[in-house]
Amino acid sequence: MGLLALGTALDWPEAQKRADQVRKWGIEQLLANWHRAKGKERNALLWGDEVEYLVVAVDDEAKKARLSLAQAEILKSLAEDEASWKTGTRPQSPSNEHDGEEPPHFHPEFGRFMLEATPGKPWGIDFKDLLKVESNMKWRREVARAHMAPNEHPITLTTFPRLGTKDDYIQPYYPPSGPALRSQFVPDEIANPHIRFPTLAANIRSRRGRKVELNVPVYKDTNTPSPFKDPTVNYDLHLWPEDDDVRNGAAKDDHVYMDAMAFGMGSCCLQITFQAKNITEGRKLYDQLSPLGPILLALTAATPIYKGFLVDTDVRWNQISGAVDDRTREELGEFVRDSPVSLGMPFANPSQPLKNNRWRIPKSRYASNSTYISQDARLRKEYLDPDLIIDEDIKKRLMEDGMDDLLATHFAHLFIRDPLVIFSEDLEELDLNKADHFENLQSTNWQHMRFKPPPPDKDDIGWRVEFRSMEIQMTDFENAAFSIFIVLVTRAILTYDLNFYIPIPRTTENMETAHARNAIHDRKFYFRKDPFSPRRPNHHSSSGSNLSSTTSSAANSPPPSPTLAPVESEYELMAIADIINGSADGSFPGLIPIVESYLDSVNVDVETRCSLASYLDLIRKRANGTLWTGAKWIREFVASHPDYKQDSVVSEQICYDLVKAVDEMSVNEGRNGTVGWELLKGKAS
Amino acid sequence: MLGGHPVIRQLTEKSNVELINSLRANIQAAQQQHAEEDPKTQQQPRYLTWTKQQDDTLYIPSTDFGYGLSEERSAYDITVKLFYLPGIPASRRCAHTREAIDLVLKELHVDSIDLLIVSFPGILFDADDDSEVEDEEGGSSDTGSEEDDFDSLLQTWRTLEGLHEQGMIAQLGVAEFGSERLARFLPHTKVKPSVDQINLKDCCVVPKSLILYAKQERIQLLTHNDCNDILPVGTTRELLGPGARGAGILASAPDADDGIQGDVAPQWVVKYTAVVKDRGVVENKGYFALADVGSCVKP
Repeated sequence: MGLLALGTALDWPEAQKRADQVRKWGIEQLLANWHRAKGKERNALLWGDEVEYLVVAVDDEAKKARLSLAQAEILKSLAEDEASWKTGTRPQSPSNEHDGEEPPHFHPEFGRFMLEATPGKPWGIDFKDLLKVESNMKWRREVARAHMAPNEHPITLTTFPRLGTKDDYIQPYYPPSGPALRSQFVPDEIANPHIRFPTLAANIRSRRGRKVELNVPVYKDTNTPSPFKDPTVNYDLHLWPEDDDVRNGAAKDDHVYMDAMAFGMGSCCLQITFQAKNITEGRKLYDQLSPLGPILLALTAATPIYKGFLVDTDVRWNQISGAVDDRTREELGEFVRDSPVSLGMPFANPSQPLKNNRWRIPKSRYASNSTYISQDARLRKEYLDPDLIIDEDIKKRLMEDGMDDLLATHFAHLFIRDPLVIFSEDLEELDLNKADHFENLQSTNWQHMRFKPPPPDKDDIGWRVEFRSMEIQMTDFENAAFSIFIVLVTRAILTYDLNFYIPIPRTTENMETAHARNAIHDRKFYFRKDPFSPRRPNHHSSSGSNLSSTTSSAANSPPPSPTLAPVESEYELMAIADIINGSADGSFPGLIPIVESYLDSVNVDVETRCSLASYLDLIRKRANGTLWTGAKWIREFVASHPDYKQDSVVSEQICYDLVKAVDEMSVNEGRNGTVGWELLKGKAS
Repeated sequence: MLGGHPVIRQLTEKSNVELINSLRANIQAAQQQHAEEDPKTQQQPRYLTWTKQQDDTLYIPSTDFGYGLSEERSAYDITVKLFYLPGIPASRRCAHTREAIDLVLKELHVDSIDLLIVSFPGILFDADDDSEVEDEEGGSSDTGSEEDDFDSLLQTWRTLEGLHEQGMIAQLGVAEFGSERLARFLPHTKVKPSVDQINLKDCCVVPKSLILYAKQERIQLLTHNDCNDILPVGTTRELLGPGARGAGILASAPDADDGIQGDVAPQWVVKYTAVVKDRGVVENKGYFALADVGSCVKP
């Protein structure tokens, strides 16, 4: 999350009144910045990864694992250390391994039980840099651990398995149901106390008109009751008006029900940000990485448990989406009665005229992205989202100032949302040398790709693209592998001018598909059949930077006809194994072979290539099923635990043992048959 | 023969598919483009329309050497790998090296390259043979059926050192040298190779002796995935031949006048790669290959 300024945060009705002003100023700041930065050129590839941890306290006596709300203390102690590293009064590291590396940075996150860590300075593309990523991640974990109590551990599970249960799953313990979240499962103290976070949660709830509502299908095991009625739901609470939600049917049969932002924003992700050489390259990478989002989500699947129950989904994405969904019933297209909604179940009625809102909005603020922005001849109109909602006035304003249609559409889409956290101090004067109002909207549009303009006050930073769909993995080896894989894919995209375009609605569908249990092997995903650009007629150069495809059609087919084939013929449903490793019949080359071909074209030293090979091997084997996903491993761990009764319940005992196992795995990484070998190493041959 | 356009190959095993596909695609594109532009041409043989004869050399397809690189020279790392082909006398290598480098410089519009790696025929690194045990036994590590004699190898190196002195090549490298061969080679060089490029099926079996020796001599061990016999005669004949997959340069029968008569003898292949240094993007990559064709081709 961004910088945390302090100030007086406006509550919802007040904030909504100022929404137009913030949007307007945000757009003016964007324009000023765009004019300044659109000519930025020749920025190097710099990239960074963000790793997020749960801080889990283990009680060996009671055999319990609890989330520790110690974020503030840990960060304070980390910051003191960082300061003393800088002044050189303290050795950076006991070993010399990280000599010359900047100490890592730690950041607060939404959950008070979370930490985010980034490398001290961004990575480059010197292949030796790639070798440092994993050891740097390990270093971050060590440093974080060193600033925790002896029984606390930085755990890279996406979610805490028993967040929101009836027992004391947090320490220190606070009872649920506070004024900001109004959750019947978690206390307000679960969130970072910085005013930004409770305000964010409260204003999402207020804007929405009820609590957020997450229903995750339960995994039906042999002893799971049917229908399954979430036994943790209390229908007799009368503390807040929102306590009515469950009496109005918020909790659905056969689902695990959750009611607060913490259930989503308390998830840990693995996010990668790349700096592009200029705005054009940034826009291209944004488009080309977008179809890969759902594929990498399914590949990194690691979220099979919510609130103490095994669920029937493998990834976190939709839960975060629901946890910050501030859309009103009207925007959702649900029926709104003039009388209070508590009178009955709402039902969808999209034809009802809008009374209070400007649009019906198909997606949450946290969702797969809805725009393509590259000025690319290969971008066909048919790929664009036909349901895209934009603010026409904002688009007009952007285009008046010279912004092109595609980019103006992108921002006019992001700006259909209301700003959620507004500090009254910021509304006194518009500062065009800042980006605070722009960022207010930009950073609360949590789409799976993010296109980031350079910060106005940093001359040396260029246009950036963030890849946001991946789930955090339990070990740093895996986190390094996926980070580096994506970096290499971006290099291959630029080197081979790869074309992954499919219609945006197919990517949206893929994102849903990725949620299914074992989607990585059991489901297929829409993907472009031929990722190579057609060989362009080449009048002047026998080489040039244009590239050709190996598919025999490219070499032998008649000259391309001026009319393009139907868009539907360009893509098909593919297995992830084929997308990653190539199809058996050779019709699709596979992302790993493409990356290897790229590596064969550049000078890579033996040691680096070996490390890269081990990372690519992990991904290859995840895709072909030789190695398990984190989600499968966790499921199997639960299923084979003596305390598991085939009733979907993940007990405190199981949770404790799981956390211990994951902590051990982060150290031993499945070597020599240690815990986790099924997802890290495979059977020793 | 010219082959631009990096091509993805399906398989990742060592292979020359990239080169062959690249050449074939380039030839076909030129044929096709010409057919579109001027479908009525009846000039015979047809290849004359899309190739270019210059002195004794036939450019297949014709080229006017592109636009070069899009950014300033210093932004790039330009690596060139020159494959001397088997069966070609080492005495020609001096001239061949100049020819190959000249073509690359012309193509990229630059006056120097950063690294030239040379690949000698018959030298094949084998990770298993480069063990210390073998060394003690005095067994030869880098065996190959057509191994160059050591003197001609040194002679070739003198040529490269000359180009280095002229500033045309910043660094020199060899391919597939084991530690033993390196140890034998280094004392005779004025300009030491800074790179030894090896192909490893499984990266994790790099012989320790080689790693240590390379480290000691400050030679960087780089990986590659090229085929040793990158352009065999048969393949060349097929590429240039009259068949459906061929370029129609060679005559279809000993008495036909639809192409060039005689033998084909591939002489060398050069691969060039221009990588934008701080972005890791391969902007330009391609191949040139030279083959002697005709009735008085020397072996």
